[in-house]
Amino acid sequence: MAALLRGLRAGRALRGLSSVVAAPTTTNPQCGSLRQGFHCAVLRLQDESKSDKPPSSTSSSTTYHEHYQAHSAEQDAAASASDPAADQSTNPNASYQDQSGEQDEEYETEEQLQARILTAALEFVPLHGWSMEAIAAGAESLGLSSASTGMFEKGSGDLVLHFIAQCNAQLTEILAEQHNQVQLGQAEPKKTADFIRDAVETRLRMYIPYIETWPQAMSLLLLPHNIPDSLKHLSTLMDDIWYYAGDRSTDMNWYTKRAALTGIYNTTELVMIQDSSPDFQDTWTFLDNRIQDVVNMATTAKQVQSTGEAVVQGLMGAAVTLKNLTGLNQRR
Amino acid sequence: MQTAALRVFCHWSQSNSTAMIRQCLKCRALTLQQSSRAYGVIPPPRDSEEKEMVHRMLRVDHAGEYGANRIYAGQMAVLGRSKTGPFIQEMWDQEKKHLEKFNEMLAENRVRPTALLPFWNIAGFVLGASSALLGKEGAMACTVAVEESITEHYNNQIRTLMEKDPERYTELLQVIKEFRDDEMEHHDTGLEHDAENVPGYWLLKNAIQLGCKAAIYVSQRI
Repeated sequence: MAALLRGLRAGRALRGLSSVVAAPTTTNPQCGSLRQGFHCAVLRLQDESKSDKPPSSTSSSTTYHEHYQAHSAEQDAAASASDPAADQSTNPNASYQDQSGEQDEEYETEEQLQARILTAALEFVPLHGWSMEAIAAGAESLGLSSASTGMFEKGSGDLVLHFIAQCNAQLTEILAEQHNQVQLGQAEPKKTADFIRDAVETRLRMYIPYIETWPQAMSLLLLPHNIPDSLKHLSTLMDDIWYYAGDRSTDMNWYTKRAALTGIYNTTELVMIQDSSPDFQDTWTFLDNRIQDVVNMATTAKQVQSTGEAVVQGLMGAAVTLKNLTGLNQRR
Repeated sequence: MQTAALRVFCHWSQSNSTAMIRQCLKCRALTLQQSSRAYGVIPPPRDSEEKEMVHRMLRVDHAGEYGANRIYAGQMAVLGRSKTGPFIQEMWDQEKKHLEKFNEMLAENRVRPTALLPFWNIAGFVLGASSALLGKEGAMACTVAVEESITEHYNNQIRTLMEKDPERYTELLQVIKEFRDDEMEHHDTGLEHDAENVPGYWLLKNAIQLGCKAAIYVSQRI
C-alpha cells in the first residue's frame, strides 16, 4: 500500500524531472540540500501542476508539513522544522513502528487504525468530497475492506474532525517551535498582533489544498452531533494561539481575548472560502483589518477607563472641597 | 508579623524620603520572593481525569481568594478609617498574597479562570460593605463565617489529595495547608474582635456560609 503510492510518486517524479531539470533551484528556497532533492522535485511538480492535489502521505503529518511549507515561504521556523520532517518522511513506515513500539506491526489500537484510515482518506477528498466514499476509498488504499467505514459513527464528520485535529496539532508544533527559538534567543519575539496574524494565516493556509470542498466540511461541522467536538477543537485552538502569543491572564480578559480571536478566525475562514484573489491576498488583508479593529477596540477601552478614572477623581475632589466648604468634614 | 507590620508602615508612609522608599522596596521584595515560587507546584497531569480534577481545584481556590479579596475591600471601604482598619488591612494583605500565588499557578498550568469572576467581584464587595455597615462586629462576623467556610473547603481538598496520592501532590498540599492556616488565623482574629456580639449572629453566619457553599459549588463547574 505504501509501496504502491511511493511507486506512483516515483513515476510522476520521473515524468516531471525532464521539465524540472531546466529550472533546478529557482522555485523552492527551502529545498537546499541534495538529500531532499527527490522530495523537492515532487513538491515543485505539485506547485507547477497547480491542482488541488492533497499531500500524498501515508505517514500522516510529516510529509504534509513539508507540502504546506512549499506554499508559505514566509514562516522562518518552518525552515528549521522541514529538515527533521524530511528525514522522517524518507522513511514513512518509521512512524507506525514508533507508534507500536516493540510490538508487532499488526498490533495497534482502534484509534490508531481509525486515524490511519482517515489520513489515507484525505487524499480522496478532492475526488469524493468529505463523504463516506472518501473514507471507503481511503480504507481500500490501505488494503482494508471498505466495510470498515462502519467504524465511524459520525460518518464524514469524523473525517473532517480528524483533519481539523491534525491541522491543530501541526499549528501547535509550529508555535511551540517558534516559542523555543525565542526562548533560545535565536529569534525576535513578535508583537502580539503580528503573532496572532501569522498564527491564523498559517492555520488557514492548511485548508488551501481542500478549499474547493471546504464549504461542505464547514456545513458538516455544524451538524448537531458534530458540534460538541468541533467547538472543543476550536476552543483548544484559540487557547493554544493565545498561550503562545504570551497571554497569561487570569480574569475576564481570558474570555474576551479568546472570544475576539474566535470571531476573527471564523469570519476570516468564511471570507477565505469565497476568495478568488491570487494566493488569497484578500483574505489576509481582511485578517489584518480585523486584527487592527480588535487592537483599536482594546486601546479605546483603555482610554475610556483612564478617562473614567480621571473623571471620578475629579468628582471626588469636588465633593471633598464642598464638604470642607460647608464644614461637614469636621473631625470629632 | 514583622513583615506585616513593615508592610503597613510602608503603605502608610508613602513619603518622599529615598531611604524609606528603599526600605519599602526591600520589604516588598521579601514578600515577592516568598510568593513567586509557583514553579513546579503542580505535577504534570498523567491523564485528562487528573487534569480535570486539578484544574477544578485551582479554579475554585482562585475564585475563593478573589472573592475574599473583594470582601475585605468592601469592609475597608466602610471601616477603613476606624480603629479596626489596620486589622482588616492586615488580613486583606494576606489574601492579596494568596490571590497572587493562585494567579501564578493558574497561568503556569493554563487553567481557565471561572467565568463568574465579575459576579464574585460585585457580590464580594457588596457583602463586605454591607456587613461592615452593621458595625465592626458585623464585619468580624462576616470574616468569621467566610473564613470558616474557606477553611472547611481547604480541608476537604487536603483530604482529597491525601486520599489520592500525598507524595505526588506534596507541594500543592503544602501551599493549601499554609493558606488554610492563614485563614484559620483570620477566623480566630475575627472571634477575638467581638464577632459574636453582633445581633443575629447565628442567622448572619449561617446565611453567609450557605452563600459560600453555593459559590464553591458553582465555581468548580462554571
